[in-house]
Amino acid sequence: MNWLDLGLVVVGLGLLLGALSAVVLSLVWLERKFLGRLQMRLGPMVVGPYGTLQSVADGVKLILKEDIRPDWADIRVFWVAPVLVFVPIFMVWLTIPFGPGLVVQSLDLGLFYVTAFLVTSIVGLVMAGWGSANKYAVLGGLRAAGQLISYEIPVIMVVAAVAMLAQSLNLEVIVAKQGALPYAILMPLGFFLFFVSGLAEVGRTPFDIYEADSEVVGGPFVEYSGPHWAVFFLAEYINTFAVSILTALLFLGGWNWSLTLRDLVGLDSLWAQAIALAEVLIKTYAIFLVIVWIRGTFPRIRIDQLMALGWKGLVPLSFLVVLLNGFYLFYRLPEWSLVAANLAVLGGLFAYLYRRAQTAPSAPTIQRFPARELRRVR
Amino acid sequence: MFGNLKGLLMTFKTTLRKPVTAQYPKERLPIEPRRMGFPMLMWDKNVGEPYCTACMVCIRECPTQCMSANMKDNPLQAEGKSARRKIVESFEINIGRCILCGICVDVCNFDAIEMSYETELSTFVRNGRRMDLRELLERGTGWQEQSGWKPKKERQPAKRGPEAEAKVEEPT
Amino acid sequence: MTTDPNEGANTLEMMINMGPQHPSTHGVFRMVLHLDGERVVRVEPHIGYLHRGSEKLSEGESYAQVITLFDRLDYVSNFNNELVFCMAAEKLMSIDVPERAQYIRVILCELNRIASHLLYYGTYGLDTGAITPILYSFRERERIQNLFEAVSGARMMHNFIRIGGLKQDVPEDFRERMDRLLPQLRQGIDECDRLLSHSEIFLARTRGIARISAEDAIRWGMTGPALRASGVLEDVRVTEPYQVYDRFDFDIPAGTMGDCWDRYYVPLEEMRQSLRIIQQAMEQMPDGPVMTTMRRIARPPKGEVYVQAENPRGAIGVYLVSDGSEKPYRVKVRPPSFCNLQALPYLMRDAYVADAVVILGSLDIILGEVDR
Repeated sequence: MNWLDLGLVVVGLGLLLGALSAVVLSLVWLERKFLGRLQMRLGPMVVGPYGTLQSVADGVKLILKEDIRPDWADIRVFWVAPVLVFVPIFMVWLTIPFGPGLVVQSLDLGLFYVTAFLVTSIVGLVMAGWGSANKYAVLGGLRAAGQLISYEIPVIMVVAAVAMLAQSLNLEVIVAKQGALPYAILMPLGFFLFFVSGLAEVGRTPFDIYEADSEVVGGPFVEYSGPHWAVFFLAEYINTFAVSILTALLFLGGWNWSLTLRDLVGLDSLWAQAIALAEVLIKTYAIFLVIVWIRGTFPRIRIDQLMALGWKGLVPLSFLVVLLNGFYLFYRLPEWSLVAANLAVLGGLFAYLYRRAQTAPSAPTIQRFPARELRRVR
Repeated sequence: MFGNLKGLLMTFKTTLRKPVTAQYPKERLPIEPRRMGFPMLMWDKNVGEPYCTACMVCIRECPTQCMSANMKDNPLQAEGKSARRKIVESFEINIGRCILCGICVDVCNFDAIEMSYETELSTFVRNGRRMDLRELLERGTGWQEQSGWKPKKERQPAKRGPEAEAKVEEPT
Repeated sequence: MTTDPNEGANTLEMMINMGPQHPSTHGVFRMVLHLDGERVVRVEPHIGYLHRGSEKLSEGESYAQVITLFDRLDYVSNFNNELVFCMAAEKLMSIDVPERAQYIRVILCELNRIASHLLYYGTYGLDTGAITPILYSFRERERIQNLFEAVSGARMMHNFIRIGGLKQDVPEDFRERMDRLLPQLRQGIDECDRLLSHSEIFLARTRGIARISAEDAIRWGMTGPALRASGVLEDVRVTEPYQVYDRFDFDIPAGTMGDCWDRYYVPLEEMRQSLRIIQQAMEQMPDGPVMTTMRRIARPPKGEVYVQAENPRGAIGVYLVSDGSEKPYRVKVRPPSFCNLQALPYLMRDAYVADAVVILGSLDIILGEVDR
């Protein structure tokens, strides 16, 4: 690597940071707006047209706010934690492509790199929990460690299954391989597992256990305020965006669907790049909206139920996904057989859940007794 | 799984509805005619003086002791313009203490005090929530016009207040 | 084979102080949780942060003024509280309240029951981590409060029910407004039900959590929906009908499991029954005065009386002693949520931290009433 390349990477990283901050602002606005609609509210309306500048105003407020440190906090751990959460999550973006060639550094081991860095931010969360000298924060930090490590396994296994199908760990290659059929159709079970464990990985409802508002009041972040809290906030949204874009790239065919349109304007032109970027972003934002939709509907599950779901449900199923893909590749089976096998497992899963919902403990247990008869008895 | 889907469908259907939010400072919800805001003093337009004679009934009956008043001889009575022998000299309500119970209105024998539509507490002055006679009358007059208030004698029976029912004072 | 996970390990209990500034202790309730990991070993509830001395204050106020204090006991079901004090004073003075006033009281109390249960539904959603239910329920609650404002002039602290009747008659357009409101409420309650009740995650959080048997619930002195969730058919509206409650046809919902889900669903079902009561009351409501002829300042004769009524949270009782003056000699309130709260340490055996919040939420306490 010569100096020019290094310079380009640095410039790219700077651009990326700016772009990501802008993306986070838009995500926050979008989430608040859509959540408002889900709840028959308007959402932010005052700052800027339709409240578009609300998140900017909030950011400014956060930066200007006093940075309060608890008296008993372990100051080094306390101040390093946000950085340790943010840096790995930002590093992930080094190799995530927004379009063909639109990437800071295309790595051949890109997928491996992404999964490796996604898991690293746990350290920061545990440190934040420990350094805050707050019992709620400790609980939250330990919850975060348990949750994120457990859900890393299904993510990695499903990602491995994708890599098996694509025969590559390079994200651009994986996208290119989905020209005919996006992997969401080829392996719906994998798609489902990746989405669910991805939700848990970023700690969004119903898996927002480590920052559970009503239980541990913000978990590891409870003692943070001002700029340090803003860094956590930024990291969380970048993480959510990363999982959304990974879902779009790995399972929804990235920028493949607009191929004919890009052919029309010339594949190498700037317009083609813009169209590819737009496609990826539209898919990503759509997935983000689904995440918000889920947040606006579901209650939160309990930590032991989360662990049970992870280790008894998602981990075995993700191994099954790898197994199915192995059979499919080794015996060179037709594509429909993989789809059928996936759908069969998914259908079986839903049928099991439905049966469980119908039988004993969940069935309604409320009976009604007419007051008229009760009065007669007396 | 299916209960969850039901919930998702519910929230999605809601998304297509019109939001119910009112943008508060710009947009205000309609005021109900009976709305009880802070008590204000009424102005007798026929005579040109307050109805209040500072008889202290409301001050005694107020559960939070948020009012105080002073009485004086009515100069207009001496001139023969008014039937009121005594009139209020100063009256103060600490709006911050008022609990909007409406007892002062019920006990007043002179139609002097009424619950206005004012409900906003914030002021720009430190002591701005202690309202003196001038301010109480000003706001009261404004409310009188807004609500079309009439004193009890000129009112139709059974329209407003428990006084519509004939109240017989029984001897103990 | 069961093994103790802590065997051989040197572990300590962690004491965590939940409240009084915790978002889901429903006010200023404080509980000290002793934790073994995520598991609650023991819980010590601490109350009294919202103590305003309402009972003592009542001794220094006239009967009319005490009603304003009762408004502020259980500050989400104000009409019910006003009613029970007025009933006590009326019983002491042996006043017969005009029928129209009784019907209006029933309608307002049942509406207030719905409003209160809607608040419970919303906050319970928040306790379990769902953020939308509270906004759905507040939309409906807002409609009820608008009606309250039209009737009494105030949205929460009404001071509308008076000793001997009501402050004034309902407005002329009351019937039209009710005809508009009731279908909206019915639909709104159904929507709330659909949003949360049968969600698998919600069921996992509440089903089988903190079960209490009927005998235990009675022993702990629970009343109201929390008791009925255990299958005890005890409702003051039916067992000792007051006002005109004996004229209506409605159902008493009761659970069979006595767990958090039952305690959550019984109020939801009660709202529907309240709508039925309101419907019937609107049809039967006669014309006439709403206030008895009586002295302006209530002065009950010497004596004492205990009256109870069914509040949204359970049976509220008022023990009123009069010495013949215009101020009560003693007012003692039996607050339902205080009595329901007694069972908290019992319910929290073997709970997780997350359950602690859900169990406390399921008891539906209002701190204004617990601490008085």
